[in-house]
Amino acid sequence: MSRKKSVEEYQKTKSFRFWRWLSGSKDPYVGEVEMKPQKEPVYSEEISQERMQEKLELQEKVYDVEQNPLLRLFRRVYAISAVLFCIILAGVLLYMVAYLPPTGEADKAVNNEVPARYIENGLQETGAVNIVTGMILDYRAFDTFGESNVLFTATTTVLILLHVRKKKVEKKRKEDRENGLEEEDDRMYEPQDDPILQACASILVPIIILFGVYVILNGHLSPGGGFSGGAIVGAGLILYLSAFGFEKTEKMFTEKTYKYVSFGALTTYCLAKSYSFFTGANHLESHIPLGTPGAILSSGLILILNICVGLVVACTMYTFYVMFRKGDF
Amino acid sequence: MEILELIQFLIGGIFLLIGTAIFLIETYGVFRYKYALNRMHAAAMGDTLGLSACILGLMIICGWNLTTVKMALVIIFLWNASPVASHMLAKLEVVTNENIDEHCKVYKNFEEYKKDMEEEKE
Amino acid sequence: MKEIFFTALLIIMALFLLALLLRAIRGPRIADRIVAVNMMGSITIVMIVILSQLLGENYLVDISLIYAMVSFLAVVVISKVYIGIYEEKRQQQGKEKDNGNS
Repeated sequence: MSRKKSVEEYQKTKSFRFWRWLSGSKDPYVGEVEMKPQKEPVYSEEISQERMQEKLELQEKVYDVEQNPLLRLFRRVYAISAVLFCIILAGVLLYMVAYLPPTGEADKAVNNEVPARYIENGLQETGAVNIVTGMILDYRAFDTFGESNVLFTATTTVLILLHVRKKKVEKKRKEDRENGLEEEDDRMYEPQDDPILQACASILVPIIILFGVYVILNGHLSPGGGFSGGAIVGAGLILYLSAFGFEKTEKMFTEKTYKYVSFGALTTYCLAKSYSFFTGANHLESHIPLGTPGAILSSGLILILNICVGLVVACTMYTFYVMFRKGDF
Repeated sequence: MEILELIQFLIGGIFLLIGTAIFLIETYGVFRYKYALNRMHAAAMGDTLGLSACILGLMIICGWNLTTVKMALVIIFLWNASPVASHMLAKLEVVTNENIDEHCKVYKNFEEYKKDMEEEKE
Repeated sequence: MKEIFFTALLIIMALFLLALLLRAIRGPRIADRIVAVNMMGSITIVMIVILSQLLGENYLVDISLIYAMVSFLAVVVISKVYIGIYEEKRQQQGKEKDNGNS
C-alpha cells in the first residue's frame, strides 16, 4: 500500500526540486546556498617581483633554444622521428597494396551473388546505364536520403553556431564607430575588386557551373551524379564570391534561398521515393515510365533524385564557406 | 590499319616525352632558383607548355571522340586559370614580404612605371 | 608496348611529385609552398589523363577537369585569405607599438 504525501511534504523532497530545476522554473540553490563573487588575489610588490624574476630565469634556462642543449636535441630527435614515422607508414601502406587482389578477378571474395544480381538485372529494373547510380539511387535510395539529411543537419548546426544576424552586426558597428573603434576582421583587409580575377571569373564561372549541371543531369548515363556535380556547382559559386565580393552574391543567394532550395529538394526526394517504395511494396504498377536506356529522359525517378541531391550538396558547400568567412549570407 | 596506329602512337609518344622533359626542367628549376618570384617562372612553364604537350600527345593517341574534346577543355581551362593563379600568388608574395626591395623593384601604380621607363630611355 | 610506356611515364612523374613535395615542405616562404603545391596539381592532372588511356576508362578525364578547377580555386582562396590575415596582424602590431610609445 502506497503512502500518499501531502503537497507541502512533497515540496520538501529532492525529486520535486529536481523536476522544478529540470523544467527551469526555479534554481533550487538560490536562497539556500551562500554565493559570493570570487575575489582576485592581491599580492604585495615583493612577491610579484620575485615571480617575474623566476619567470625570466625560467625562460632563459628552459625555453631559450640556443642556450639549452637538451631542448635542441629534443627538437632534432622529434623532427627526425616524425620523418621516419611518415616514411614507415608510407612503406607499410605500399606493402599492403601489393597484396590487394587484381581488378576483374573471378574468385574474389567480393564477387558473390549480390553484385551479380545488380549487374544482371540492374539495367532492366532501374533503367540506368550507370550501374552505380542505379544502385545508390534505386536499390539503396534510403541510404542516400540519409546522407543528404546528414549534410542538411551539418549545415543547420553550422548555422546555429556561426550565424550572426545582420542587424546586430550593423548596430555594433555603429556603436564602435561612435566610440572611435575600428572593426577588426581579416575579411576587411582582403584585396577586393581585383580586375584580373574578375575578368577570369566572368569567363570561367559559367563554364564551371555548366559542367556541374552536365555532371548532375548525366548521372544515370556516365559516372558522376548528384554529389560530385553539386560539389562542382558549389565550387563555381565560391569562385564567383571570391572574385566579386559579398555585395553581388547577396542579390542572388540569401538565407531565404538556402531555406527554400534545400528544404524543397529534401521534401521532393522524400515524396518521390516514398511513392516508389509504396507501389513496390504493395506490388502495384508504378506509373513512371523507365524509358529507353541511354536517353537523358530515362530511368524513371533517378534523374529527379539526382537533381535534388545536387541542389542540397551545392547549397551545403556554399553555406559552409560563407558561414566561416563572414557569418551571414 | 596497324601501321597507321603505330604512327599515331609514335607521334603521341614524342609529344609525351617532350612534356615529361619540360616537367623535369620545371622540377629542376624549382630547386635551382632561390626566391619565390623566380621559382614562379619555372612553375608557369610546366603549367602551360608541359601540360599542353602531354595532353596533346594523349589526344593524338586517343583518336577523335568526345574524350578528346574534354582533354582540349582541360588545356583551355588551365591556360585561362594558371596566369590568374600566378597573379594572385605574386600579389601574396609582394604584400607579405617586407624586404621586397632587395629582390626586385615594385611599382605602386602604372604612372610611376611610365616615368621610370622614360627616364631610362633618356 | 603501350602499357610499358605509360607505366614508365607514370613512375617518372611520381618521382617529380616526391621532389616537389620536398620543396613544399622545405620552402622558406608561404609562396614557395603554394607554388610547389600548384605544380603538383598540374602534374597530377596529366597523371590522371595518362591513367585514363592506360586503363581505357574515358570517364577519368572528367575527374582531371574537376581536379584542375579545385586546384585553381584553392590557390585563389588561400592567397586571398592569407593576405587578409597578414594585413590584420600588421595593423594590430602597429596599434600596439603606438600604445607603447604613448
